[in-house]
Amino acid sequence: MKKLLDVKNLYLYFATRKGIVKAVDNVSLSLNKGETLALVGESGCGKSSLAKAIIRLLPRNTHTYKGEVYLNGENIMEYGEKKFRKEVRWKKISMVFQGALNSLNPILKVGFQIAEPLIIHENMSKEGAYKRVKEAVKLVGLHEAFIDRYPFELSGGMRQRVVIAMALVTRPNIVILDEPTSALDVITQANIMNLLKRLKAEFNLSYIYITHDIAVSSELADKVAVMYAGKIVEIASSEIFYRNPSHPYAKKLMASVPTLRSEKKLDFIPGAPPSLINPPRGCRFHPRCPNAMPICRREEPKMKEVEPEHFVKCWLY
Amino acid sequence: MVLLKVINLKKWFSMKKGIFGTTYYLRAVDNVSFELRSGEAVSLVGESGSGKTTLGRTILRLIEPTDGKIIFDGKDITHTRVEELKWYRRSASLIQQDPFGSLPPFYTIYKILEEPLIIHKIKDKNKRRELIYRALREVRLTPVEDFAPKYPHMISGGQMQRVAIARALILRPKLIIADEPVSMLDASVRIEILTLLRELQKTRGISFIYITHDLSTTKYFSEKIFIMYAGQLVEMANTDQLIKNPLHPYTQALLSAIPDPDPENRKKIRKVPPGEPPSLINPPRGCRFHPRCPNAMPICRREEPKMKEVEPEHFVKCWLYA
Repeated sequence: MKKLLDVKNLYLYFATRKGIVKAVDNVSLSLNKGETLALVGESGCGKSSLAKAIIRLLPRNTHTYKGEVYLNGENIMEYGEKKFRKEVRWKKISMVFQGALNSLNPILKVGFQIAEPLIIHENMSKEGAYKRVKEAVKLVGLHEAFIDRYPFELSGGMRQRVVIAMALVTRPNIVILDEPTSALDVITQANIMNLLKRLKAEFNLSYIYITHDIAVSSELADKVAVMYAGKIVEIASSEIFYRNPSHPYAKKLMASVPTLRSEKKLDFIPGAPPSLINPPRGCRFHPRCPNAMPICRREEPKMKEVEPEHFVKCWLY
Repeated sequence: MVLLKVINLKKWFSMKKGIFGTTYYLRAVDNVSFELRSGEAVSLVGESGSGKTTLGRTILRLIEPTDGKIIFDGKDITHTRVEELKWYRRSASLIQQDPFGSLPPFYTIYKILEEPLIIHKIKDKNKRRELIYRALREVRLTPVEDFAPKYPHMISGGQMQRVAIARALILRPKLIIADEPVSMLDASVRIEILTLLRELQKTRGISFIYITHDLSTTKYFSEKIFIMYAGQLVEMANTDQLIKNPLHPYTQALLSAIPDPDPENRKKIRKVPPGEPPSLINPPRGCRFHPRCPNAMPICRREEPKMKEVEPEHFVKCWLYA
């Protein structure tokens, strides 16, 4: 199958007063059409930065931004900002931001906010754009009349649906979901997950789903990438990952997930993730790893394909 | 032995609309009754806006109750004057959700922990230091000499929450109410903090109310679960019983909304009720869950069901079991 998105050796560093933050450090991953990749890890491991690097929304203190990103076989890293904005961002790859509840403009009607990307990225007329907005609003399970409301008139779940409509209105191939349900109640969360599943099936969408909640990630993920301290340490199909992950960090992460229906002993990872300014030498997980060996302290392991489509970055393998 | 008894507790907030407008009441806690035994850990579970935080704060008398009774250790403290509540402040403490906001930023950890000791008139300086170091050791912030002089911003979120736990424990309370103590923390740190809390609670025989929206952790950290919806308790049972045999349709919905990590999940659509919890200003008549309930009957619209003991220690407020 041809890859829809192929990220190779991507770097994103930020310059801060304390030093250079290596938020995304030599990351490679790929995504097929209609596939969902869940990106999981603790907060501060670079998940959101990776998403921003892919959609090229970079803060002003960006220090290094390099690598290759192929979209349908074309290296979009070579595009200039104008071309990228016109042909890629929102048109091909859109994003649902974290804290979407607060990402709506409080003084604009939601209909206008959904129409905005069409007017900006596709040069559509207002009438044409509003027609598409109505479709998008219905698609996410809201009534047409909602487009004339202001965000404060909507509940959390409805606002989340508006933000999803905004990401879909340009009919992109890839939607990046950055913690799309973290501020919602569990029943609302389940409703939104159902919606995302339906949209995915209907439009053959690909999602990159960023979350720290492993249990909820299994609602969407076809494959899972585990990120730790700016690097991806394991990529596996969800069949493998949720039943039997390989990397010691992924194992610990799974062991810390409380389950309702099965009995298991909960475990936690001692210590905290390292600073991204001055990460440990060798494997970045070695100070917290139960299986650390002398070589882990000295040398960084390479990503290895332990079985087809299952990659692990660890000296054990 | 029953440590805390709450009878028909109400907390209505009055809200005025406009200058001459009528007064409305937001019924955050509406007719809540339960008992808590000494040494027992209970999870109070509900969605945001269900009134669980208000219930916790009202029990601690941080908010004045509107009606009902709070009996702690055999004493009615519902309307005791605040000046006479000092003994209660010592016996019942609170751990808040946000460690970044609940610890004063310009105090050292030592001073944060010393404050309650000074207020409760422990005059001997050496004795205070002894107690502070003991509390820090209990929450495993060791070596204590390193942590005591630090300021909150110098430590991690998990460590801050340990300081908050140490502060809640330092006066040896009989009851601790922890309001979403881990929801601001990373998943892997959550388990660490909850394990610590549970261990301290068990070994010290402290009664514990764990307020949370996360049903999946309650199984590991409490003996009983109370489910709250729109200002009322709708089901109370032992933890295992409630998870294996939930009776109230709302509890059933909550449980079915929570995934366990499983690759099969992505192929299924979850059965969950549509809509969101009602406004507490004008809650639905009858049972408050009826507009979203898959089993709603005509009586649910008319009349409010009573809390009923359906099997031993398993209470449910639903017409299906009346």
